[in-house]
Amino acid sequence: MTSPVWARRRAAAGRVWREFAANRGGLVGVVVLGLFVLTAILAPLLISESSLDVTRATGQRLESPSGDFPLGTDENGLSVLTLTLWGTRLSLVVGLAAAVLSVLIGTTVGILAGHFGGWLSAVLLRFTDFFLIMPSLVLAIALSAVLEGGAGTIILAIGVVSWPTSARLVRAQTLAVEARPYIERARALGGGHGHVIFKHVLPSVLPLVFVNTTLAVGTAIVAESTLRFLGLGSTSEITWGGLLRSASSSGAITYGAWWYLLPPGIAIVLLVLAFTLVGRALETVLNPKLRERR
Amino acid sequence: MTPVLELRDLRVTYAGGHEAVRGVDLTLRSGQTLGLAGESGCGKSSLAMSVLRLLPKDATVSGEILLDGADTRTMSWGRLRAVRWASASIVFQGAMHALNPVRRIGQQIAEPILLHATSPPDEVDARVAELLAQVELPPEKAQAYPHELSGGQKQRVMIAMALACRPRLVIADEPTTALDVIVQAQVLRLLTRLVSEHGIGLVMISHDLSVLGSVCERLAVMYEGEIVELGTAPTVVHDPQHAHTQALAAAFPTVGDPASRYAPATTNPAGLPPRVVPEAGEPLLRTESLRVDFRDRGGGWTHAVRDVNLEVGRGEIVALVGQSGSGKTTLARTVLGLQQPTSGQVLFEGRPLPRGGRALRDYRRQAQLVLQDPSSALNPRHSVYEAIAEGLRIHRMPGDERALVAAALEAAELRPAQRFMPVLPHQLSGGQRQRVVIAGALALRPRLLVADEPVASLDASVRGEILALLLRLRAELGLAALVITHDLGLAWNIADRVAVMYRGELVEVGDVEQVLLEPRHEYTRSLLAALPEVAAPA
Amino acid sequence: MTDFLAPVEETIAEAPPPQRGGGAVRYLLTKVGGAIMSVLMVVVLGFFLFRVMPGDPVTIMTRGRPVSGAQLDQLRAEHGFDQPILVQFWNYLVGLLHGDFGNSYAFNAPAGAIIGERLGPTLLLSGTAAVLAAALGLWLGAKTAWYRNGPLDRASTGVALVFWSIPPWWLGVVLLMIAGGVFPTGGMQSPDSPTALVPHALDVAHHMVLPVFTLVLAIYGQYQLVMRASLLEEMNSDYLTTARAKGLRDDMVRRRHALPNALLPTTTLVFLHLGMVVSGAITVEAVYSWPGLGQLTAEALEAKDLPLLQGIFIVLVIAVVIMNLVADVLLRVLDPRVRAS
Repeated sequence: MTSPVWARRRAAAGRVWREFAANRGGLVGVVVLGLFVLTAILAPLLISESSLDVTRATGQRLESPSGDFPLGTDENGLSVLTLTLWGTRLSLVVGLAAAVLSVLIGTTVGILAGHFGGWLSAVLLRFTDFFLIMPSLVLAIALSAVLEGGAGTIILAIGVVSWPTSARLVRAQTLAVEARPYIERARALGGGHGHVIFKHVLPSVLPLVFVNTTLAVGTAIVAESTLRFLGLGSTSEITWGGLLRSASSSGAITYGAWWYLLPPGIAIVLLVLAFTLVGRALETVLNPKLRERR
Repeated sequence: MTPVLELRDLRVTYAGGHEAVRGVDLTLRSGQTLGLAGESGCGKSSLAMSVLRLLPKDATVSGEILLDGADTRTMSWGRLRAVRWASASIVFQGAMHALNPVRRIGQQIAEPILLHATSPPDEVDARVAELLAQVELPPEKAQAYPHELSGGQKQRVMIAMALACRPRLVIADEPTTALDVIVQAQVLRLLTRLVSEHGIGLVMISHDLSVLGSVCERLAVMYEGEIVELGTAPTVVHDPQHAHTQALAAAFPTVGDPASRYAPATTNPAGLPPRVVPEAGEPLLRTESLRVDFRDRGGGWTHAVRDVNLEVGRGEIVALVGQSGSGKTTLARTVLGLQQPTSGQVLFEGRPLPRGGRALRDYRRQAQLVLQDPSSALNPRHSVYEAIAEGLRIHRMPGDERALVAAALEAAELRPAQRFMPVLPHQLSGGQRQRVVIAGALALRPRLLVADEPVASLDASVRGEILALLLRLRAELGLAALVITHDLGLAWNIADRVAVMYRGELVEVGDVEQVLLEPRHEYTRSLLAALPEVAAPA
Repeated sequence: MTDFLAPVEETIAEAPPPQRGGGAVRYLLTKVGGAIMSVLMVVVLGFFLFRVMPGDPVTIMTRGRPVSGAQLDQLRAEHGFDQPILVQFWNYLVGLLHGDFGNSYAFNAPAGAIIGERLGPTLLLSGTAAVLAAALGLWLGAKTAWYRNGPLDRASTGVALVFWSIPPWWLGVVLLMIAGGVFPTGGMQSPDSPTALVPHALDVAHHMVLPVFTLVLAIYGQYQLVMRASLLEEMNSDYLTTARAKGLRDDMVRRRHALPNALLPTTTLVFLHLGMVVSGAITVEAVYSWPGLGQLTAEALEAKDLPLLQGIFIVLVIAVVIMNLVADVLLRVLDPRVRAS
């Protein structure tokens, strides 16, 4: 019995990929994303520890681009190119981890609030609405200011404040699925809560969750860089947001040191845009409502 | 005199090559009424929409569409806009969605009047009131929003809107499909009266031959994009020639016709089983003064089911008849333990229904549910095999799963079983899907089937086949059934006894012949009177 | 027969045409109740959020500074951190009721007063930006949906996605670098700002150009994308076919029928996303040294001034809660469908 099921799943995956590949934006996003992931993996091989060490800096303060330093130097005389490449690692990891954390919380809350009615749902909804309208950055600032610490704190802060969007989406989808007569049929067959949630609701919610995670990574990366820019998180970690903070506090703006201010920012925009493009492309393929619309 | 509408060799082809309409010729003279019958996908709606050029962009239309002698297919856009609604208007299917939710009824009726300037601007309000009066709605309703009206009222508004510019032709696309029998009768009577009073040509589209026959002088039957039969209503309904028309006609039996008693239309070689007399003795299912109340949004109580005492014997088929909102679905859900009663109890084989846990799960193996719309009653991601095995797995039924699934498919007459197992629901036809739902229920070897409008969403030609299957299952397996329906013809076709439900109460219960032929309660009589009637051929 | 049947439809299918007056009052009460709940939750959260760490806020505030044990004790006593947590909570609640947010550690002044001073500039900046961004986003969203997949749609949806991906503060930094010579680079007014009303307003407006421009670019994209999606969804509705069948021109079908339906839910979303505008404003203010709550947040963070942060947090969230309440009430007035449910 497993073989036809797997054949069907393979065929479905193939179909999704073909539809996805027809979306030019999504394809570009995948390529850009691939380059960033490659950079993150290869960074330790290409860059020696010493080139990140302030005490062993070889360049002058805020040197403009040259053969030695293709993107110039920072206020400590370190290569901006090297720092930016290295920054990819934390930005990717923190963005992914925070997005997964937030979608995980959101999905759990969404399914529980959608499946179980009554007071549980009412309480969960109240919470979701509250967090939804909250200026999440303000809460994340407060959280990471209190907790102090490095990347872990930032992941926690972003994850804990950004789940309501996915909770709302997942709840709506859960309600839509639960209103389908096949859920009534499953109940009439004798299926309990676990059966309905795991056999019917979860499989139909998963594509949506996947899309949502992809889109959430972009938001998380922006949030991370913002927190870093405001001086939160550990200063010993090299991140794009952190680089931009040092740049603006070392007078790079008035100095006109575009080589220091632009690369980390462009990297953020490209990575976020890549995730967004992939997410939107996936959305048109996986979200049945959008597909019907086309 | 030029006909109001003349179609010559009309063809509609959609992108992808699907030919929805294949060479239709029709003529309608002023004041004539024509019914267009056919099953879903036969091209009748494409035909209707092509008249005012309202088809989606990917549709190619060829042939001639002469509206008052002018071809709308080749008209300039400006001319076409002037013709739309002023010469011909449409009563759309599903008034629910055809009205703009955020604009008042009055504004929506007035819009075409102002646009085509068929009444002077200062008389528009009066005209709207007049139109509302014509469809028997109070003038205050002009201030209402669509969601504040009932389904029947919305359909009346649609009719008022269609008459707004005094058109020569009205096209009504399934105007009563979502409505209850009695409301349907009211709307049909209204439409017939207005059309004849104003001498308007009417093209009415429906899947229900008897509805068309009760309103229209002539009937055209469409099948796979072509008109296969055309004639006066009485001859087409009572003396159909084409095989497809015969199937359509048989799908809506005349209550009281002995030929269709215990004999739904079927072409299945298995035929109809011999008549079964249900065993006497203790009933399989019994409800004792069952009440179900809901708290409604306003904080008040809705009494969905009030003091219902109903019995279903072993191997007996009972039809529960009523219109929507009568509480019949709530009663069914309570019988299955999907809804807790407020008071009273349900007894199965003399024992009260367990309220939860393992005992309730065991009960649910005995009583199975068949839902109205099979396309949504099956999880689109689960194959036929998984759908049928779902119940087996929940109840950990002993035995080889594959063999049990195969047996269930065989019992529901999906043969060969092997071929259906890996198939996904959307690859099946409506009738096959309903058989899968039935097979899923049969796999648990239940004693009782609760079927909620089991054929309401199926095409006419499939309807008889599913009903015949229920009769054969009763004969072969001794399966009892509680069939919930709004369709008296269905009760006449298969049920032993019938229970009529009205506002939560059972107003009349008895043998089918007795209740349907000699109704005692006023409500039953009005239900019977609301059935569309087609005059006998001259 | 008819007399028997007439009431059937009236009572069953049409049962509750809600009594408008009663419905409105209940709706308002529910929404106000919800807002009050939210404010209470903020108040509770505001207290415990800043006390989740082991130790106490004083330890965090003085982290990395040379402070003696005696000084720490003195600080604790000053801020009341030496009392049991429930007593602290009680004092905090009583204080809030009197508009007392505690004392700022860095400014050595009541936090409430400092926040009050900075509230106006933030409202001015984020309000202006929100209105402009909503207008631009909704207009572009409607245009792109009408001409979907056309050159305008492709280009402007792409641009919206790019701006949406840019952190607002970085956009501010870049604009500052490009246009810093033309427009003032910081503050809300010149040191020698004229005192007369109109010239003063012009001076402030001049200072506002860059921050508002940055904020608008950062947030309009979201509105455009939502408006586009919502209008596309409406474009398949049956009532648009009705409108076309009536003989309306395509642009009238859109303007009279599609747009009002798409606009209402989108407007709600604009209000729901006010939190986002505030978040953007915080960082943009920090870049342009706009003397509002955002810059104050940055200063409080630098100084690790927890009482001040706590106050800012509570004030900002309450402001957003109130704006949402306004939005809910407004939507009910505007959208008959909301009145129904």
